[in-house]
Amino acid sequence: MNVIKSFCLMIMTIAMNQVYGQYNDLWIPDTLSGTQFNLNLVDTFAQMRPGNQTITEGVNNKFWGPTLFFNQGDTVHMNIQSFLNDSTTIHWHGMHLPAVMDGGPHQVIPPGTIWQPYWKVTNNAATYWYHPHLHMMTQEQMTKGLGGFIIVRDPIEAALALPRTYGVDDIPLALTSRRFDASNAFVTTNTSYGDYMLTNGTLNAQVSLPKQMVRLRILNAEMERAYNLGFSDNRTFYIIATDGGLVDAPTPVTRVIVGVGERIEILVDLQNDVVGSTLDLKAYNGGFSLGFPGGEPNPNGQFGSLLNNTTFTVLHINVSNPTSNPITSMPATLVNNTYWTAADATVNRTINVTNGNPGGQPFDLDNTPFALNTINKTINLNTIEKWTITNNNVFGHSFHIHDVEFKIISRTVNNVGTFDEGWKDVLYLPVNSSATFVARFDDYADPEHPFMYHCHFAPHEDGGMMGQFVVVDNSTNIQEQQEAKEFSLFPNPSKDKLHIAFQGENFEVYYIKIMDAVGRTVYMLPRPQVQNGIDISQLTPGHYFLQLTEEKTKLTTTQQFIKE
Amino acid sequence: MITRSFKSICTSLSLVLIISVVIGLQSFLLNKETIIGNPVNEFSLINVDGRKIGLNDYANAKGFIVVFTCNHCPFAKLYTDRLNALNEKYKLNGVHLLAINSMDSILYRDESFVNMQKRSKSEKYNFPYLQDGDQTVGRNFEADHTPHAYVIWKVNNQWTIQYSGAIDDNGEEPEKAKPYIENAVNALLKNEAVTESCTPSVGCKIFYRK
Repeated sequence: MNVIKSFCLMIMTIAMNQVYGQYNDLWIPDTLSGTQFNLNLVDTFAQMRPGNQTITEGVNNKFWGPTLFFNQGDTVHMNIQSFLNDSTTIHWHGMHLPAVMDGGPHQVIPPGTIWQPYWKVTNNAATYWYHPHLHMMTQEQMTKGLGGFIIVRDPIEAALALPRTYGVDDIPLALTSRRFDASNAFVTTNTSYGDYMLTNGTLNAQVSLPKQMVRLRILNAEMERAYNLGFSDNRTFYIIATDGGLVDAPTPVTRVIVGVGERIEILVDLQNDVVGSTLDLKAYNGGFSLGFPGGEPNPNGQFGSLLNNTTFTVLHINVSNPTSNPITSMPATLVNNTYWTAADATVNRTINVTNGNPGGQPFDLDNTPFALNTINKTINLNTIEKWTITNNNVFGHSFHIHDVEFKIISRTVNNVGTFDEGWKDVLYLPVNSSATFVARFDDYADPEHPFMYHCHFAPHEDGGMMGQFVVVDNSTNIQEQQEAKEFSLFPNPSKDKLHIAFQGENFEVYYIKIMDAVGRTVYMLPRPQVQNGIDISQLTPGHYFLQLTEEKTKLTTTQQFIKE
Repeated sequence: MITRSFKSICTSLSLVLIISVVIGLQSFLLNKETIIGNPVNEFSLINVDGRKIGLNDYANAKGFIVVFTCNHCPFAKLYTDRLNALNEKYKLNGVHLLAINSMDSILYRDESFVNMQKRSKSEKYNFPYLQDGDQTVGRNFEADHTPHAYVIWKVNNQWTIQYSGAIDDNGEEPEKAKPYIENAVNALLKNEAVTESCTPSVGCKIFYRK
């Protein structure tokens, strides 16, 4: 008997040490702010576990990228340079912006290419993120670590007495998990879940938080797993923001489910905690019925994981001394949101989760697997629409739509929960349920480039559970020209700046691509601001092609130039 | 009650570990069966010095260490000194190191021949660095990542793969690494079987043009 006990204890010790080893200090991503953002996408590696290094992909870093701070009203210019060995895309999740800047599966950035999207930030203050969105490669590239937070500030949020000192009392938390093979490489295929929790890329993360009111910006950056979050002492905490902005008032909860792609901001009061005491933020993921993502009982295999159907620590908190100017109270109200209602909607749409057999046929939407050249829905500019998403299927999903923030107005299972009462761009859709939201599609019409709607489970979207829509402006009756407008490039040859001379009036540039002599794309410039010329100083001397697509006609013309 | 629960947990955990080991062993064996012992055909690739080099150019070679590597991959770059040392150590025993770049240099200009020449010079490679421009050799070897190393040996007058995988099991800390390649070559030089003949290659993925 004692021998059996000893053996069991040894096995348990080995297993527990693998799962709950020594705590590591939570990594807080660096920050970038202003209006010009330089992001380099790189192949790299990181020491994630003892032994061999893990091959990763990073944005200015080894795993996960810098947090970008945007101010509402600013026009932000992104300079994305890919040093990756593979094509990718970078999607600005939650941002309201032109489709051609959105970074969906159509804006493919080949290796070695510079992509320069820009847009005016109109989103509310909240927590957003950026991540790859290359069709059929999303899981692999997200697993390797491409992505990062975006934090938008606005005057309303800035006027509130909320924790706002990044990394001190305002903590970003990207929740995800990874499975490693014997050589410490990430497993990226035939797996839906990781075995080891990574918080901001840190295994077994711990952080010191001051004895005061603290804000946690929580992102579920998983492949499939949902998190049923709460604190180890079951204390009440307060939701202050959802995906797309502050909620009207702090909402007290003791548990909150955060599905893949969703963000919540919470306030947790540490004022009654003793300095030196500890507290765990945990995922109480045990006991859910089949269909809850991460509730499957298997400890391994494609749909199993060591973390499945169990309670595990997401963040170990050590309470430290308060800061010099702590936030000690919580605003009673936050913002006065005006939501659209069902009565505002002039178009109703239904979308059904269809097909799907875990391990077999992929899930899709409306029996239509994603096709890159198929536009599934056309939406008129400035229309308010009501969409009902129904999941009479075998598994839960996270439904995400690009371009807009929506308001969930009803659910068939449970009421609209505390965690999804505000502005949203992702909704967790349990098995055998429907959710209905209302959204307004304004500002950006573009019949050429679509936006996506899809399940945010990376294996599901890679498998084709995705559709696309264009927003069109029928109020302007443009007579399409049959011939491309002409332009010339000067000076040619050119060293630093290449200028474009347009022939004719009302010439607007929709897209410029610059290719080298063997056809490699070196620049992707959506709607470039060309009045001051195009900076070609980074190009190596040689022969290049400039491919220009005109805005109104969408006709494309190519000219050659020489870089000196 | 506690004892029963405890036993139940222990049984479950033991089962998990046993299943994991079995699954791991299965995939390991499957992988091993597909590649070890495969014949290697002669190839002729351009070296950074402009000469064409193939296996037949080494008349008295007992074996080769063939390493698929590249210019840009940070993990592959960790192995520069180790590759020079391997070649220095084993060429006197008739085992020569050949580095091959099978990356898609059309899509990815960092892998150009000119950059290969620069890298070979700056890193003082003491071995040939060959460009596999049409990726045929990489495909034939089924090279996955950079670096992906092979030991090939003559069996019945035919070059065959005797080892496939990583150079060792720690890119950044060579002093802690298990030297897979050295172990394989040492065994073969003693006419012994390679005990660990297949490991996963770790590094940047090699994408093959369709």
